[in-house]
This record gives sequence, C-alpha cells and structure tokens, in this order.
Amino acid sequence: MKGLFICFIVLQIGLDLAHSVTFFPFTHYGMFSAVEPRPDSVLVYKIVADGRRLQPADFTIYRWDMVQTPLEAYDKQTATHDYAFDKDRLQQGMRWAGAGSLYSALKTNLDNTGDFPSWYKSYLGGLLGHRIGSLRVEKAWYRWQDGRLLPIGKESWINL
Amino acid sequence: MQYSRDKNLLLTVFFLFWLPVVLFFALDHRLLSQVRPALFWFNRDLAELTLIGIGLPRWMIDHPASFAAMDGLAVLLPIILLRSAIRNKRFSSALGWIFTVFLVLYILLADIFWQVHLEPFVIYWLLSLAFLTNSERRFYGILRICRYYFLYIFVSAAIWKIARGAVFNGQEMSDILLRHQGYLLAGDCDTWTCRFCSWLIDHPGPAQTLYIAAAVLEAFFLIGFFTRRYDRLLIALAVLFVVADLVVMRIPYWTLLVGTVTLWIGSDVRRPAIVIYETTHHENLPALLDLCETRFPRVIVFLKESSWQNLSGGQSPSDRWPRTEFIRQPAGSRNRPFIRSLFSFIRRHHCSHLHLSTLDNNLLVFALRIAMAGNVHISLTVHEVNAWFRDSFRSVRKLSESLAKRFLRRRVRHYTVFLPAIADHFRQRMPDAVTVFIPSRFYMGPSPRGAALPLTIVVPGSVEANRRDYESVAAFFETWRPARPVRLILLGDSDSPYGSAIVARFARLESSEFLFTSYKGYIPERLYEQKLREADLIWSPLRVHKTGGHDEPETYGLTTASGLTADLLLNNIPALVPAEFGLPEPFRKALLPYSSMEDIARLIDIGRQAGLRGDIDKAFVFFRKENFFDAFDRLTSPDYPGQKG
Repeated sequence: MKGLFICFIVLQIGLDLAHSVTFFPFTHYGMFSAVEPRPDSVLVYKIVADGRRLQPADFTIYRWDMVQTPLEAYDKQTATHDYAFDKDRLQQGMRWAGAGSLYSALKTNLDNTGDFPSWYKSYLGGLLGHRIGSLRVEKAWYRWQDGRLLPIGKESWINL
Repeated sequence: MQYSRDKNLLLTVFFLFWLPVVLFFALDHRLLSQVRPALFWFNRDLAELTLIGIGLPRWMIDHPASFAAMDGLAVLLPIILLRSAIRNKRFSSALGWIFTVFLVLYILLADIFWQVHLEPFVIYWLLSLAFLTNSERRFYGILRICRYYFLYIFVSAAIWKIARGAVFNGQEMSDILLRHQGYLLAGDCDTWTCRFCSWLIDHPGPAQTLYIAAAVLEAFFLIGFFTRRYDRLLIALAVLFVVADLVVMRIPYWTLLVGTVTLWIGSDVRRPAIVIYETTHHENLPALLDLCETRFPRVIVFLKESSWQNLSGGQSPSDRWPRTEFIRQPAGSRNRPFIRSLFSFIRRHHCSHLHLSTLDNNLLVFALRIAMAGNVHISLTVHEVNAWFRDSFRSVRKLSESLAKRFLRRRVRHYTVFLPAIADHFRQRMPDAVTVFIPSRFYMGPSPRGAALPLTIVVPGSVEANRRDYESVAAFFETWRPARPVRLILLGDSDSPYGSAIVARFARLESSEFLFTSYKGYIPERLYEQKLREADLIWSPLRVHKTGGHDEPETYGLTTASGLTADLLLNNIPALVPAEFGLPEPFRKALLPYSSMEDIARLIDIGRQAGLRGDIDKAFVFFRKENFFDAFDRLTSPDYPGQKG
C-alpha cells in the first residue's frame, strides 16, 4: 500500500513537472498560480438570444458556466484547427513508441465533425427552457480603465 | 464496530455528495443527456485522449441514447451499491469495481463533452476504491491515501503559488480577477459581487492580501502530513476555503469537500484509557476503580477534593489505586471549568472511554460536550432510574435537563447500576442498551472486631425524613429494655432541624444502659468505616418509597439503591431493614427484615448469633472482583450488543 502511494506521488510530481499535460487521476492543483502580465484586453462573449442579451445575473453560477464554457471551448477548437498541434504531438509520440500504425487506425476518431453553432443554439434553448428563434454571439474586447471595462472592439461570430 | 461505523460513514458521506452532484448536474442542465453534445474537446489529459482515440465520444455522439444510459447509471449504480452494502453489511467487490470504473468513465466523458474540470473528482474516484475491499486494514489504508491526497490538493496549490512567484507578484490577484471575471465586469455591474470584484481589481494591495491568505491557508494543510491532531481544524479550513472561493472567485468548489471525510474518519483514533467523572457519590467508586485498573492501561479520575479525601477509608486513594491518576477539583471552585477541563483532557489525550459515575447537575453542559466529544465510548452509572427517564418541562432548568437527557439517552448506550433488580428494571425501560450490575465496592473479608461490649447498633446515612424513618427507631428505643448496655450511633449528618429534633429525642434516653452518638456535618470516610466496623448490627430504617433528588418517586431496591449496599460490603455485619425492602440473594444473607417492633427485638438477638457473620462472609464471596469482569467488559466494550442485539 505504501509502495503504491509512493508511486502515486512520484507520478503526480512527474505530471506536475509536465505542466500542461495530465493523466487522470494525476491532475494539477495550481489553483491560479500562473504569473501572467495584466491582460491589455479582456475577451467577453456577448450572447443575444431572440434579441435579449444573456447576463450572468440571470443565471446560477453553474448555468452561466454552461453558457460560456462551450463558447470558450469552441473558440479554442477553431483557433487550434481542431487541436492540430495536439494531434501532431500524439502522432509523433505514438510513432516514437512504435505505434504509428495504431495512430493511423485511430486517427479518424480524433476529428470533430459536428456543427457547433446549431448544437449551441439547441442546447441554449434547453438551458433557457424554450426554443430559440435567433442567436447572435459576438466576441467583444474590453480594456480596464477608470475602474470599469471599456469596450474597444467587437466581432460578430455566430449568427443563426 | 469502529470499522463498520466508519464504513457506513464513508458510504453516507460519499453518496451524500455524489447524488447531489448528479442532481445539480440535472438542475444546471449538465447531464450528458441534457447536453447531447455534437463535439468533443481536447483537454490535454492522456486518459481522455485514450477515450477519444478509441472512438468512444464519436460513437456516443452518433448514438445519443448512450448519454441517457450513462446518466441513468450515474444514479442507479450508487443506489445498487448502497443497497447491497446496507443489506449484506459488506461491500460487493464486483459492484465496487463496476462503480469505480464507471465513475472514472463518467467524469472523463463529462470533461470531454462539457468541461466538468477533473480536479475535484479525483478524490471521488480515490474514495470509491474503498468500496472494493472488505478488509479493515485495506479500507483504512485506502482512506489514509485519500487523506494524503486531499492534503496534497491544498499543499500543491500553495507550493505552485510560491514556486511560480505568484504570491510575490503584487498584482496577481487583481489580474486573476480581471482575466476571469470579464463577463461579470462587462455588464451593468450593479451587483455587490461585481462591485467587490471591481474594487479588488483597483486595489491590488487588499486583493493580494486575500491571495496570500489563501496560499497560507493552503500551506497549512502541510501539517496534516505529520500529525492528525489538527484534522478537525483542517476540515474547518477546507470549508472556509470553499466559501471564500465562492464569494471572491465565484467558483462553487463544494464538491471537493467530500475529501473532508478522510480528515474526519480516524481523526479521533483513541488510546485505551478510561476517564471517570465523579462528584459526591465517591462511596460507589471503589469497585469501578478496581475493575478499571485491571482492564485499562490508564485510568484517570476527575473528582471533587472532598471525594478524594474520603474515597478510601483506610489508606490514601493514590496508595490503594497506584495506577490511577486523580485530578481533583479544589474545594470552592466552579464546576463548569472543571467539566471543561475533563473534556479537554479527553480530547488532548485521545482517551477511549468516559464513565460518568454521577450525573446529577449540568446535564446540558455534559450533553453539549459529549455531542462534540467524537467517538469516545461513554458509560453512565444511573443512581435513580425514574429520574433518568422522566422528562419535565415545569421550569427552564427542568426543560434544559429534559432536552439534555433526551440526547444523552440516545448517545449513552452503556449503563451500570448497583443492584441486579435495578438492572432488570432498567433493561425493561431501555431494552437495546447494555445494562450491567456492578456493586459499589468488592467484599474484602471481615475486619477484626474489638471488644464486643456494649451492643453497638449503627444507623448509617444522613438524618433526613425523606430517606429513613427515624421515628420508628426512636419509638423502639423508647420502649425496648435490653438485657445489656446498648450504644446507638447515628452515623450521618444530623445538622438539620429534623436531624436536631431526632438527636434530641435520643439524647433524652441517654443513660448508663443507653449510650448515644451523633454527628454534625460530613463524616470523614476513615471515621465512618471505623464506626461501621464497631457495629454489631446495622439498622437501615429505609423509607422504601422516597422522592429522588430530581423530585421523582423512586423505590429503594428497584429504581434506586441506598448507601446500605455499599456499607454492607465493607464487612460482614447483619442489617435490620424494613420487610418491604428487597435485596437479591448474595445480599439477603445479611438482611434481617422486620415488620413490627417485636420483630426488631427478636432480630437483634438473632443478629448477635456468632454463626450469622460466618454465613454472611461465605455469601459475600460472590462480591469478588473476578465475578464482575464480564459485566465490566460489557459496560466498556462498544462491540457488545444490547440485550436486544
């Protein structure tokens, strides 16, 4: 038992040193420990459903999380070309381990084919409790100034 | 017992967290069947990548019914596991494995499909490993690992904050808030949370102070790797951390608190030691102390100074019970600080047992203290059965005592009384409790007798009308004409109007044929025992039906015991008692029951017969320590089932 625990700790520390990669149950517990410079702009997704802007005050914390998180994830997915870098590293790693053919066999499983905007519209309808006729999502950038966020630019992103 | 209790506690706590987790998933539209995802996300977790690689997420997207199946299992499997564990009183390892594997799968899929964040759920998975085994050793081993992991979660966060220099960056907290609360700040910002957040962003000093405080709090968990002493404090800190996280960061991290169960279970592993609390009924302690010294490596008695002085008539208590520590309450000092020190001692020394030898007052204080005392095994000597079961709401004091008794009757399941008949009666009132009979003291054999003249009759006990019928004693001596000189000793405090009147009545009879002795105030135990030794006869004119100390009707021999049971065992002296006073067989040999004046005169002659003392001596051999080991073991063993069990 003690030996297993020591192995666990060693693996955990190893994973901690690997920074961004985890292997459940070995995850990072940094809890906002990254030192980054103050952002010059803050990105906010503005969601307008049937002409009404969705505000965090209208939702519980977890429900608002479910409004926001898919957008963040989708933004990341598109920005990384469906995780092209991760797939590339995985391919390299599997080739190095002599499992290149396995990677080729599994490759198609790694690719997303779903339509996010329609799914999001449908999911948001479920979250709001009614079907949504129109949905508009904008990416808006803000700057912190004089004790508040001032808008500095926006971009239409999803429009259904 | 401890193991099965801890197992049940873990099951309860685990599923009290897990089922609400699933419930909140449903309420927040986060069940897989509610999300019905069309895409999956890469989170740079190799286990998730494996699932994605084998095509499970894609298959599930193509077969949406699988989402509902997974949600259904998330509720059903725990219920089946719980039912099986409760029904069979053991874990089914097959079900345990299914649940554990399912749990990992469900959490990974939730992260792949809607970014659940794995971190707080690792502890759920680790705890679920405890459901795989029925070995006590492995169960506690897994819990120990879970505890270390729970501590690690916090310590790791503190280490990263320090190692990356975040605690030294004066702007860190302000920047975090700006980066993560943008959606809140970009709106109207008319809520207090938004205004508080804005204020912290504009005031990096106080914001960073909060951040450093969080890091210090997290670092404090390091102490848990070296001692379990502060585990309860760590639970409080974990709760504080979660609350602060919610208020400042708007992160509801309550799911993590399931890990506090690892700090709770085993945090009060106790060392075998019995603590006894006694106030003024010290005459009932000797047998208990004899047994404690035999069965416990450590015995501690909290008692009043006066009780210590009078605990043992012949020698110092420290000499008679050399392995017992006596903690004395100085005369005149207040009770509550003493009671506080009692429970503080139990907590500091992790004592396994507390025996309340007398519980007359401060019942609410005891109830509250006991409620917070953890899993210490508690037993109680009941002096008055009716008072213990009777609730009264006639005054604030009665109300508080009744509330306290209701709690104590549920918490205290091990009782001792001074007579077998009282034990039987008690068992009828509380059948599922363990109730044993242990006498006040053990019989040590007859004491050497001095000169037998004159005939000495001792009436032990304080001179009061409620307990004893002194009028009948006086009436007897006023009419009785003995053949030889008689000495009557009222061996108890007569310092009351009633006592003075009785003493005056006897004093009037004093002559060369009738010698009379009485006392005022408390009689030191040494003198008390000496006077009893001098007796040819004890006379206990008990009023069998009396009013107890809590104004409840009590019956001597059935619901309460008189001091006579302790007095009898000091020697082998016969005792005159009213005929309606019944004592069981080993005592009965010493009793001379009377129902009239004529009886008394006749019984005094019988009591002086030489053979009677020998017979009593033989009968009292029953009251040897060895004959009560079993009763004491039942009293002090948490594993011993109640009469029903």
